[in-house]
Amino acid sequence: MANAWRWFHQLGSPKYLFQKTGQWLPWIWGATLILLAVGLYYSLWASPIEVRQGQGHTVRIMYVHVPAAALSMIGYIAMAIAATVGLVWKMKMAFAVVRSIAPVGAAMTFLALFTGSVWGKPTWGTWWEWDARMTSELLLLFLYLGYIALHASFSDRSKADKAGAILAIVGVINIPIIYFSVKWWNTLHQGYSITEKGALNPAFQTPLFLMLAGIYLLFAALVLMRLRAEIVLRNQKSRWVIEWASGKTLERGES
Amino acid sequence: MILTLLKRELKVARRNWIGLAIPLLFFIIVVSLFPFAVSPEAPVLQQLAPGVIWVAALLAMLLSLEQFYRSDYQDGSLEQLLLMSSPTSVAISKILAHWLLTGLPLVVLSPLLGVLMQINHGVEHSAHTWVLMLSLVLGTPTLCLLGAVGMSLTLAASRNGLLVSILIIPLYVPVLIFGASTVTASLENMRYNGELAILGAFLLIAIVFAPFASGRALKISVG
Amino acid sequence: MSQSQDIQFDGLYAHELTVSRSEQILLEDADLHLAPSTITYLYGENGAGKTSLMRCLAGLLQPEHGTVYWNNKPINHPESGFCSDLIFLAHSLSMKNELTIAENLAFYAQLRLKDRVTTTVLKTQISQVLIDLGIGGLERRMFAELSAGQQHKVALARLVLEPAKIWILDEPFVNLDHKTRGWLAAKTLEFKKQGGTVLFTSHHHIDELPVDQKVGVEHE
Repeated sequence: MANAWRWFHQLGSPKYLFQKTGQWLPWIWGATLILLAVGLYYSLWASPIEVRQGQGHTVRIMYVHVPAAALSMIGYIAMAIAATVGLVWKMKMAFAVVRSIAPVGAAMTFLALFTGSVWGKPTWGTWWEWDARMTSELLLLFLYLGYIALHASFSDRSKADKAGAILAIVGVINIPIIYFSVKWWNTLHQGYSITEKGALNPAFQTPLFLMLAGIYLLFAALVLMRLRAEIVLRNQKSRWVIEWASGKTLERGES
Repeated sequence: MILTLLKRELKVARRNWIGLAIPLLFFIIVVSLFPFAVSPEAPVLQQLAPGVIWVAALLAMLLSLEQFYRSDYQDGSLEQLLLMSSPTSVAISKILAHWLLTGLPLVVLSPLLGVLMQINHGVEHSAHTWVLMLSLVLGTPTLCLLGAVGMSLTLAASRNGLLVSILIIPLYVPVLIFGASTVTASLENMRYNGELAILGAFLLIAIVFAPFASGRALKISVG
Repeated sequence: MSQSQDIQFDGLYAHELTVSRSEQILLEDADLHLAPSTITYLYGENGAGKTSLMRCLAGLLQPEHGTVYWNNKPINHPESGFCSDLIFLAHSLSMKNELTIAENLAFYAQLRLKDRVTTTVLKTQISQVLIDLGIGGLERRMFAELSAGQQHKVALARLVLEPAKIWILDEPFVNLDHKTRGWLAAKTLEFKKQGGTVLFTSHHHIDELPVDQKVGVEHE
């Protein structure tokens, strides 16, 4: 327990975090590329097409859509958790994490919307349907963009961090409310629903799980890369950043 | 303490009455555009009425936010208020003043808009008007509370104005959904007390979280 | 938390204070003690961080590091009573254009005294201080209608109307006429005699006001 606590504190040090993420990244990237390569092979070639609901090849979109949609939610929740850590424990690196997740999360949300739309055209015959999930996802995209816009509007970064953190927390309280409201509204208007649950054919499971793992890792890798950029940006005046930028290897330790 | 703060808010706002009247005028004018754009026929307008009136009310609430926060931030009063009283009570006084001077007038004006939008078309009594007012009574305070959080967050930001709208509108969606559907249910002669209860629940949740969050945000903006 | 017990400094005490503004560190690990019955003069060039330090001591700006104590309790601790003991006058006058002079002053006095003062008493106090400041009889005028100099005087009137134990004043003497400078210096000395703590900044030396402590903020 004491160890975990110490580790938590070390993560608050920009230099330590920068070094650690630098060590992790090659491994994460390696695993990401392998998983995505195998996953794409399975999802594009080595899996059957859907026949029961007549979706045909469009079912393959699901292998990207499902992970992206899951990550769009997880990303926002992770932002709110990091924001809480930042506000409660006054840990500045947590704010850097919030800022790093935002664009990647927004991109995932957009990807989920885009793939949903591409899937919707052949399936429903329309690019856009005010389906409960798609509508919630759209509002989630607005929440992400709101955070990014708010953060960019301050000249003082520490104010931007704190204000953005509050917005992330207020947003996360609202996500279930928004989802519930939109779902209720949707049933009222009897829209389409893609929530036709059936036992997932095992043939679809392998590519889906591979792609889930692959895209989750891709998300982590992108966030960590952004985080490293953010750390350098925020500590551009510290000695260790100047030394690192001039090509020296970093000494171990915290500062 | 909140009473002292509230009295001051009301006094300042009253001397600046034109700033209060403009969002209300906007509310009426926006609604009056719909007959021109869609159709002046009563059944069509009646069907659109709940959504149109609710969207216009929501925008009027957003427009009026600036006035209650911006000048206190700029002339340094906000700083003094935060030094002498708790951030939460400052936020509460602003939220109350905003609702009393914008939300409440919107509720009072809404029957007039109901008439413009032919909300009582085909019925003898004016039950729909009462439902519209009731939905606004329960919904507009939530809009004030959420708006207070957004406004407090953007006070120190450089590009303001529209920024607060971008932050807050996604959060307004649940209130809009249930506010408008309360009235729609009434128009369709269905029970609407479930919708009203949910609007009330939103209000309670917002009362618990928003003043605190807004107070924290005010403190950050000033610091 | 254990630190707060063994520190015994009356008045305002800042411990290991690090203040930054827009990610620039203005002050690092500074200790500062403002004892009761002392006047402290804070000097430094423009942009050195005088205002930021004052805002930090007043509790408006969060320090990067360190704590400010008031009578041995952290200032944000409710028991320290700091928020009712402090008058902080900043560059911005913090008065509403839409209110009259009397309404502006009465509001702050009532907020501080939590309505323990009757409006009639407050009214006579306000007219008296306005007469002392040479703007007598203007209490029913709107704040916006006054000249800049007169507006400044209204802000200073708060020092007399509101009971306090510490004043933090940012450039209180700037653009004041000779007579008002004398008035402010006299009031400050009177406040000190009653046990008050004063911190002020100024670009020029103020002849009328002997100071007990000088604190400089410098650029790196």
